[in-house]
Amino acid sequence: MKHLYLTFLLLGVAGAAHAQQPAATVIAVPPLTSPDNGDKGNQMLAVGWDATQLIAADLGQTAELMPLKPNRDDYYSYPEVTAPTFSKWRSAGAKALVTGFVQSRSDGRLTVGCYVYDVEKGRELGRKGFVVAPSDWRRAAHKCSGVAYTALTGAPGTFDTQIAYVSEISAGATKLRRIAVMDSDGTNPRYVTVGDTMVMSPRLAPKATQLAYVSFAGGRPNVRVIDLGTGKERPLLTTDAISFAPRYSPDGSRIVFSMMTGTNCDIYSVSAGGAVPRRLTTSPGVDTDPSFSPDGSTIVFESDRGGTQQLYVMNADGSGQRRISFGGGWYAAPAWSPDGQWIAFTRRGSDGRRIGIVKPDGTGERLLTGGPSDEAPSWAASARELLFQRGSGGRNALYRVALDGSEPRQLTTQQAASEPDWSGVMD
Amino acid sequence: MSKILVAAALALLGSSASAQLPGLRKRDAQPQQPVLQGIDALRAEFAAQSGGTTVYYGTDSVILGAPARASLAFQAAWLRRHPEVVVSVEGYGDAGDTRDHALAVGARRAEEVRAYLLLLGVPAAQVSTTSWGNLRPGLGRAVTILVR
Repeated sequence: MKHLYLTFLLLGVAGAAHAQQPAATVIAVPPLTSPDNGDKGNQMLAVGWDATQLIAADLGQTAELMPLKPNRDDYYSYPEVTAPTFSKWRSAGAKALVTGFVQSRSDGRLTVGCYVYDVEKGRELGRKGFVVAPSDWRRAAHKCSGVAYTALTGAPGTFDTQIAYVSEISAGATKLRRIAVMDSDGTNPRYVTVGDTMVMSPRLAPKATQLAYVSFAGGRPNVRVIDLGTGKERPLLTTDAISFAPRYSPDGSRIVFSMMTGTNCDIYSVSAGGAVPRRLTTSPGVDTDPSFSPDGSTIVFESDRGGTQQLYVMNADGSGQRRISFGGGWYAAPAWSPDGQWIAFTRRGSDGRRIGIVKPDGTGERLLTGGPSDEAPSWAASARELLFQRGSGGRNALYRVALDGSEPRQLTTQQAASEPDWSGVMD
Repeated sequence: MSKILVAAALALLGSSASAQLPGLRKRDAQPQQPVLQGIDALRAEFAAQSGGTTVYYGTDSVILGAPARASLAFQAAWLRRHPEVVVSVEGYGDAGDTRDHALAVGARRAEEVRAYLLLLGVPAAQVSTTSWGNLRPGLGRAVTILVR
């Protein structure tokens, strides 16, 4: 896998985050300009146009923002990047505006600058610049989308992130399952495993540098770790015991997972580099699907110790275990939101499997999807959206759903897909 | 170790849509079976003489019922007579369960079967376990015992 170099230029950030708005904010995204002249200038404008369309597509994927369709005739000069004609965008119905430029550098790389404005107030909300290799213009555009999203919503943008999932191809009675990783806009899918062994549960390290997953290569399920930069792979543990349900800590230093000893399934924590795991739960029955709070102090997990699967929280050292789910049905596969406010879960009930959220203290429970074959919720870095797996007619697909109650939308993948995992924002 | 051959399990796959029924499912005799040799022959003999290679559980249950124990008694007797044969006890979870819980339940079911076989005098080294959770649709709530 290719290595990405991305340098951040701080251009200085002005303005505070906007208050959250109930309806989508209309945002104008005219084509990025360039200070360069001649052929170079034309090349930069061409890259800028591609980047502009990508930014508009990124922002159009969010629940909070609604971009106007970019129009090549809306050309503006380099000085107008920092002095936009607000009246034009006001009359076009836009509440916000992204401007910017693409500039060639003497070292062959590009500088991409992005500026975000409140059109009504005629005020800058944020700016940032990125230096990238020409081939990484997409990442710079995703970063620009993130600048706009963060300036307007106050939440981290999820555009320069990765999604890991299981790609499924039906081959007769069996399914060929491969771990895949793609950019969060659905482009650039790469297969991390070749499909000769059963796999499950891909889980990305916070900045998508590593991936933990479960492989049946040795005949029984074991957690393995792949370095996505080098492709090198190793088992997480030295034991052959059945291990599964891995998840990274928010700082990427540890992995929590489940391991079987006899008929007992408990949760353990181990350094991501591999070491002697530390046992966190001891109850008889199945304790699994651990997920850290964003500050790393607390872990939510599911346990059937009380007879049915329910959600529990505990301190990161295993102390202070207590149940937090008390609604009807069975609660499973919890995932703690990156802003710490919510825990997403899969609820099994008479109406099938549905995705919901609940506050860490057990209050505010809300179901977000209608089921009946939804599972495996995974948070966006923004904490405003979830990815999940939905089965329909024997075929699985990935969907994203916002917390605002809007309908889930399918994410296009080449093959059937399941078990999504959404990374944090990459460096 | 030899490849997992799923002759026995595949024969069951066809009828596994009706795996709802708890209790032992007996394999139908296969009249046109060619002469089997080596591991295939062992598998066929194991399946025939132990009354089946699959035992079933109730929903979300890891407790062995009486039909399952009866079937395992035959299997244990056969395994004691064939100490050179190694078997893999493979557990399956419930189809409607979530992925990881199903994997754990399948592992518990396999461990329960292994513990029962050991209780009946089968040497521990002869029996390994694994779980497929609900990754292989069709064989829900079951444990298959494969000669390896």
